Amino acid sequence: MSRNVLIVDDSATIRRMVRKTMDIAGLDYDQVYEASNGIEALAQLADHEVGVVVVDINMPTMNGVQLLQRMKQNSRLQDLPIVIASTEGSKQRIEQLVEYGACAYVRKPFQPEQLRDALMPILGVKENATAESGNTGDDFF
Amino acid sequence: MPQQRAATLATIFSDVLADLAFMFTDDAHEDPAADDPWLETSIGYRGKYNGDLHFRCTRSFTYLLAANLLGAEPGGEDAVNSADDAAKEFMNIVCGQLVTALHGSEDIFNLTIPEISTMTETPDLSLDDGDNVSTISAEGHRIQLIFQRGATDA
Repeated sequence: MSRNVLIVDDSATIRRMVRKTMDIAGLDYDQVYEASNGIEALAQLADHEVGVVVVDINMPTMNGVQLLQRMKQNSRLQDLPIVIASTEGSKQRIEQLVEYGACAYVRKPFQPEQLRDALMPILGVKENATAESGNTGDDFF
Repeated sequence: MPQQRAATLATIFSDVLADLAFMFTDDAHEDPAADDPWLETSIGYRGKYNGDLHFRCTRSFTYLLAANLLGAEPGGEDAVNSADDAAKEFMNIVCGQLVTALHGSEDIFNLTIPEISTMTETPDLSLDDGDNVSTISAEGHRIQLIFQRGATDA
């Protein structure tokens, strides 16, 4: 399984925070790719093997819901683990995202350990890391 | 209730500021420098109810916000270059939380893409009508929050 991560968020600040969280948590990843909208994300996915995608919903050009729909239609991408990191809290929206393949949801503003707990089952931790596991209450579907 | 709206907005703003940037609202503030421009970051939500949110602060506050989000130096290149993005993303998060607080989590709401612009003049900071305008202080900086209800808003 690829340990490359694709972070999709129109905020460069959030992309950096996600990356920093992964480092602090000692998550076992190789390369990080970034995209600021769904179109860029699809381009990255076409060019690189990725093991997990962290996706925001509210983005210009192509939003997160549209991206998940497109990924679901692609046989190469439809089983890719997707973690949603979004500001939205609608139950209907979360159900919709699960339907489109999301396996975890972290609501902004998220604590670092919440994102860590969502990604750890997918990536694992590096051998010399000392990340602590704990259920902080966010959904894992 | 209108008064709950302004209080809710201020509370959510304060909570997100603390959770995301480890910054805190307080009563103390300094008068903004004359050469410190005011910025307005705007975002809206659309759905069963509509609303628009405006966040007014000085440029120097956006540098501070970005620095805290990124763990960088407030006056450093990193914070300066990330300031606009930090303010927009901050309001994206505040808006999402506010929608849930005001309208619950049953309906789907779409947020607009946040926008930031420089204000042509200093806002009237005495304006705090307890209804849709709230003026607070954070880390010594004055901040004004405005909520505009849409025609279909409750």
